[in-house]
Amino acid sequence: MKVVGFVCDWSVDLHPLLDGRRLRGVEGVHIVRVPCSGFVRPAWVEDALTAGADGVFITGCPYGDCLNREGNFLMRDRIDALQRRLQRRRIDPARMTMLAYGLHDGDAFVADVRAFVDRLAEKKAAAGTP
Amino acid sequence: MNVAADRPGRYGRMMTSVLRGTLRLDVLINRIYPTDFNPLYYTGGLSNLFLLILVLSGVFLFFYYVPSLGGAYDSIDYITQRVPYGDIIRGIHRYAADGFIVAVLLHLFRNWFTDRYLFSRDNPWISGMILLLFAGFIGVTGYQLVWDDRAVALTTMFAAMLQSIPAIGPLLVRLFLGGTGVSDETLVRILMLHIFPASTLYLFLWWHYTRIRHPKIWPPAVWVLFCVGLVFLLAGLIPATSTGAAAPAVRPTTLPLDVFFLWPFALLNVMPPGAVVVLLVVLFVLGLAIPYISRREAPPQMGVRHAGVAQVIDGNCTGCELCYYDCPYNAIIMVPSPAPGLSKAAQNRTLLAVVIESRCVECGICIGACPFEALELPKFLERDIRAQVTDALRPAEAVRS
Repeated sequence: MKVVGFVCDWSVDLHPLLDGRRLRGVEGVHIVRVPCSGFVRPAWVEDALTAGADGVFITGCPYGDCLNREGNFLMRDRIDALQRRLQRRRIDPARMTMLAYGLHDGDAFVADVRAFVDRLAEKKAAAGTP
Repeated sequence: MNVAADRPGRYGRMMTSVLRGTLRLDVLINRIYPTDFNPLYYTGGLSNLFLLILVLSGVFLFFYYVPSLGGAYDSIDYITQRVPYGDIIRGIHRYAADGFIVAVLLHLFRNWFTDRYLFSRDNPWISGMILLLFAGFIGVTGYQLVWDDRAVALTTMFAAMLQSIPAIGPLLVRLFLGGTGVSDETLVRILMLHIFPASTLYLFLWWHYTRIRHPKIWPPAVWVLFCVGLVFLLAGLIPATSTGAAAPAVRPTTLPLDVFFLWPFALLNVMPPGAVVVLLVVLFVLGLAIPYISRREAPPQMGVRHAGVAQVIDGNCTGCELCYYDCPYNAIIMVPSPAPGLSKAAQNRTLLAVVIESRCVECGICIGACPFEALELPKFLERDIRAQVTDALRPAEAVRS
């Protein structure tokens, strides 16, 4: 599994969770840290998916609590738009998702990422076995 | 600013623990309510709601109020006893004022504890401090307008505080009282000092909002209903009362004092008036200085990675206004394009995006908004992000091949 995660600097505290750039405890998750979830250009998500990533997630602060006021709302809307756009190109919208976790929600964050990766693995296995 | 280079000071550690506490409280409330309805995310909107209730009920009260020594107390009495629902409206005005100050203080502390006043965000902070000062002053004059014996005592104490200001004190007292002593003019002036600052609140609110795009100025409907209901309920259950007609000959020995508005007057028990004035001025100046002196640590220690002010790549900008609409701080403006851009999409542009550097907080939301690669954060180049993504995808590719 290859999953890329864009994680906002101000959301989950990644210091105890990271192993270099990999998320400890979940196989194949690579974290790219960004200054705000709204920084992520949907084109990067799209390119990562077409370049071989199994899934992409973006993590921002809890809705209503973005340090930059509305970065996570904007990103949620952009992800929705991207999912509709990519669906027309036969790319499964479930391969990208938006998460929202605060500074101290590390455990819940990891659990959610694990669930996301497991879902992707199931789909991959289902598609792989004819 | 000289900040201890290695470790955060006591103040820094205290603010960090307060930040943790605030976020924990959020998490706790988010368990009860969906995040879109967390009242702590709408403290500003709640203040605005209470302000509107105050304005509406205040206009109603203004129709009946008589600003004269003989008429003030009786007109309030008339509102309470005779005017249909007058006592309810008066109670609403009273309790909405308390709700307003509570919401404003929550707003202040929340934004302080979550670092939302630093760097480019000092404008809302400064205008907010002025709004707070005016709100307190309006509250005090509101208690004076009733002209019961508490109001008379407050006026005497306020005059004593003004008198203690060196050089201009006596002049200020004359201006405030409208003469050498309390007269009919005094109540006209107090009414003016109650209503005029209340009107200018909206002027300062405009300043409060100038750098904020899509400000959340209104709470969710459920909280509007709850707050309006709460204010009505309180007004019905605990009617607002006067303390007794003003009788100049009788000096009251004890007075019920409101915690939110009248605490400086309670301090007069233990301090001379001059000291209270100095204390208020010091508090206000410290409040104004918070964005500049209360950075806990240097930016790198705060975990701020300096991204640099967003830069528009002139050749790629198509003038589509997407970044202009998404920037949360109104830091991007559209100007008429001086010349066509370089890329094909930018050939026919009429507008060009320009970043106002003093407003930019380097969050990068405009980068995500721009589909034409016409914006960059100098220290978070698109190239580097793409390199990281490629890096993430490479090793497994190598294993497979």
